[in-house]
Amino acid sequence: MDLLQFARGPALTWAATVFVFGITWRLVGILLLQRSPDFSEARNATSWLGAIKLIVTRSWPRREFRQRTLFAQSVGYIFHIGLVIIVFGFAPHILFFKALTGLVWPNLPSAVINLTSAITLAALIVVLVRRLSHPVLRLLSNFDDYFSWLVTFAPVATGMLTVAHFGARYETLLAIHILSVALLLVWFPFGKLMHSALVFISRGTTGALFERKGASI
Amino acid sequence: MNEPDTLGAGLAHSGVSRRSFLKFCTVMASLMALPPGAAQAMAAALSQAKRQSVIWLSFQECTGCVESLTRSFDPTLEQMIFEMISLDYQETLQAAAGEAAESARDEAMKSSYGKYLLIVDGSIPTKDGGVYSTVAGVSNHDRLIDAARGAAAIVAVGTCSSYGGIPHANPNPTGAVSVSDIIKDKPIMNVPGCPPIPSVIAGTLAYFVTYGKLPELDHIGRPKVFYADTIHDRCYRRPFYDQGKFAKTFDDEGARNGWCLYELGCKGPTTYNACATIKWNGGVSYPIESGHGCLGCSEPNFWDKGSFYRPLSTPLADNAHIIAAGTLGGIAAGAVAAGLSRKHQTHIGEEK
Amino acid sequence: MSTADIDSIHPLELDQPRFSVKNPAVRYDKQGELPDVQRVELAMRAFVKDFGAVAATYLESCIHCGMCADACHFYVATEDPKYTPIWKLEPFKQAYKREAGPFAAIYRVLNLKKKVTVEQLEAWQELIYDSCTMCGRCTLVCPMGIDIASLVGLARHGMNQAGLVPHELWAVAERAQREGSPLGATPKVFKDRCEWLADDNQVDIPVDKVQADVVATMSSIEIMKYPDSIVATAKILNHLGLNWTFRSDGYEATNFGMLSGNSAWQQEASMKLIHATIAAGAKLLILPECGHAYGAIRWQGANIYGKPLPFRVLHISEFLAENTQNGAIKTKPLDKTLTFHDPCQISRRGGAIEAPREVLNGLGVVPIEMKDTRGLNWCCGGGGGVVTIHRADPIRYKAFQIKMRQVDDTGAELLVSSCSNCRQTFDDGQDHFHWDKTMLSLLELVADNLEEK
Repeated sequence: MDLLQFARGPALTWAATVFVFGITWRLVGILLLQRSPDFSEARNATSWLGAIKLIVTRSWPRREFRQRTLFAQSVGYIFHIGLVIIVFGFAPHILFFKALTGLVWPNLPSAVINLTSAITLAALIVVLVRRLSHPVLRLLSNFDDYFSWLVTFAPVATGMLTVAHFGARYETLLAIHILSVALLLVWFPFGKLMHSALVFISRGTTGALFERKGASI
Repeated sequence: MNEPDTLGAGLAHSGVSRRSFLKFCTVMASLMALPPGAAQAMAAALSQAKRQSVIWLSFQECTGCVESLTRSFDPTLEQMIFEMISLDYQETLQAAAGEAAESARDEAMKSSYGKYLLIVDGSIPTKDGGVYSTVAGVSNHDRLIDAARGAAAIVAVGTCSSYGGIPHANPNPTGAVSVSDIIKDKPIMNVPGCPPIPSVIAGTLAYFVTYGKLPELDHIGRPKVFYADTIHDRCYRRPFYDQGKFAKTFDDEGARNGWCLYELGCKGPTTYNACATIKWNGGVSYPIESGHGCLGCSEPNFWDKGSFYRPLSTPLADNAHIIAAGTLGGIAAGAVAAGLSRKHQTHIGEEK
Repeated sequence: MSTADIDSIHPLELDQPRFSVKNPAVRYDKQGELPDVQRVELAMRAFVKDFGAVAATYLESCIHCGMCADACHFYVATEDPKYTPIWKLEPFKQAYKREAGPFAAIYRVLNLKKKVTVEQLEAWQELIYDSCTMCGRCTLVCPMGIDIASLVGLARHGMNQAGLVPHELWAVAERAQREGSPLGATPKVFKDRCEWLADDNQVDIPVDKVQADVVATMSSIEIMKYPDSIVATAKILNHLGLNWTFRSDGYEATNFGMLSGNSAWQQEASMKLIHATIAAGAKLLILPECGHAYGAIRWQGANIYGKPLPFRVLHISEFLAENTQNGAIKTKPLDKTLTFHDPCQISRRGGAIEAPREVLNGLGVVPIEMKDTRGLNWCCGGGGGVVTIHRADPIRYKAFQIKMRQVDDTGAELLVSSCSNCRQTFDDGQDHFHWDKTMLSLLELVADNLEEK
């Protein structure tokens, strides 16, 4: 078995298994914790509307916070959108999802993907530099933050090298790329990358609770 | 048969013109990207060269490699090769049979000991004492070891002798292995392909005859001159890949427009061979040009790398079951974790 | 350690002007004589016990983006990274992951998250109490929607159990538990006050009526420092001709049990109000101009009671708004420009955002809004018990400057709010900075301008 076979075969299989196992474990482990009933008289009965409202509106900063958070929000947006474009717009990736889910959608031209990848990498580097240099971020950051950055950065970087056939033979690059994705999948449930799922639960929770009170969301 | 000693004389004898011969040398030299002047050197060397003694052993094979060589489009090429060498043993091509054939080989091995070129096609079965393929009561394994002893170099022609090939595919019932799995002390060149391109076989033979050694090889024993680039690198459909234009089925608009076959499982990006440049049938076409993705036949284990129609970027295995199991396991683990946490909380509550 | 001892070690200076505190030594306070190990154990247990799916979701979701810092007045005023709101929960995040999260077993077995130490908790006392008013502004910036303020409330439960509450806050909470009021407004003091206020102001102030439709409450700050609020409340309720009363068994709406993190004390204080209202057979409980009192009863009361409350709960501003809008309260127009300071617990976190504005509209005023207003207002810096903590004064004053700038920028003549704790903080800040703005009470403003029938 060569490296690519290992990557496409057992590595992906086990990574995907750990991925779903960890995600469900973590989500179920959180959601099944105790929930106390709220007997207070609701100001607004349709609290779910608040959940949706917060999930949607928290996607951009309020005017009051815009000035102070503009840079962080912008860079965050750039690499998040970049990742979405790369992950879901690149033809070989769509094939990957097709093999897993059967779903297909049109792909973007490779030139767009290449440009996006370069921008995303740059944004990720900016994010890292900021994390290392901003006093607040440096204080808050732990292993999870840096490792999660690494496993996000690695697939983009190796993916670009693979497409460019740069640095090693294509099958080696492709294998490393897939292995880096496998690493991402394995780490995903255990670190902060889970925010991609938790963001909806967390925002929804606050949105619903606050809407009930009529509090600001 | 009274054959001329040198290649030049032989060619003249067979009615091959000097012009054709030079053309052959030029083509070979350019195929192998040899420096300018090499064609002249090759022509000079070849015409003076004594015909190289070659012993060709066929093991677990389908004769496709020999067919590829002998049915090559250009009859001159075939002729060139057989003028270049003295094929002392080749079961398919030789007129002799039975003990006459065997003794011809033994004699060649003895008279050209240490000088002859050993060509092997087919893999070597090793299971159960190698009984799955024998010639004249001798297993392929033993024959190979015997013949390799006096060989100057070994050329493994075809994917089977290079890497085990189809007989080696799962579950490999005969325990088939490649030449290099058995022979460790001789220079071995692999010329993989199922079958290999005829010009590649010819070119490497011409090189050996010209320079008396094997050309530079890559990390899995292939001559770099022919196997340096992937099919994908040299594919005329590559621009469509770069633009993200892919045929989705074999008869859609994209397929008719000649778009990239990546999504249809083309293995071009991971296959190192010269198909896209030299092409087949005298340079007429190659699989991708005919509308089918590359199978990756010149790569080790090509038969075991999932469906030919499975795109490279997809997982090899069908993971649905294990993913479903993982999900259920995760739900169970999560429920247990939450349960323990709640129990812990109740416990603290009661203590107070 | 008896209370007397504590009082003599750290004498309370609650009656002194706040700027008299010259030397807020860097220190942490401890209550009781527990061994350190037991303190940590108790802290973790209390923290874990009150833990639910909501808090877990929050603690699992943080991505360490640090944006909450930009919403926090303490960080913005000091630029000291330790005041980043989510950092204030660090030991509790650590404890949660180790003790209660879905991967707790892994974290424990591999010791990936260390056990929280008493030193950590001691160091965090300043962050959990001194530098967090639980104003919840950070909640609104968090891209994950984490309600950090509620987590600080939970963390305080743990700190309280460990006996690691800042001294003044613990002392007032203890006093409230013992005497029924943190500032000495015992039932007797309260009744006496009502009596002389009634006499002085020629207003009827019913106390302990057997049956009443409305029960009104006060905060001890009002009783002791702003007694005019009692008069104003009485004037308005009388003006409306309601059958109302104060109850000496449930008049004190502040809840220092909640602020200091003592669930039992919080429960007891809340139950007093609930039982008093039920005893009076009232259909409405009016909460005074006090921020945290609103959250304590309006949103937590029923849950402490264990079932829906058999009466309505309104903040005084909501009550005034209702009666202004239905025309029951008529006021003389106020010929001044004015800005309104939203009290965090009532407005941002309580949901009574428009009520005070409706009241002001009744006074013929459209408030000049501050740049960041309503739910996004800047906290005065004194909520969550911070104003009681002497050593927090320096950062509180720094944070207060944000508020002063905001108010000054409006150019309004008057400054109004509907929280006596904010009022106290503003008064203190006014003294400290020799500021020309005095915080007015919305309630008193309405009472002073009532149109006589």
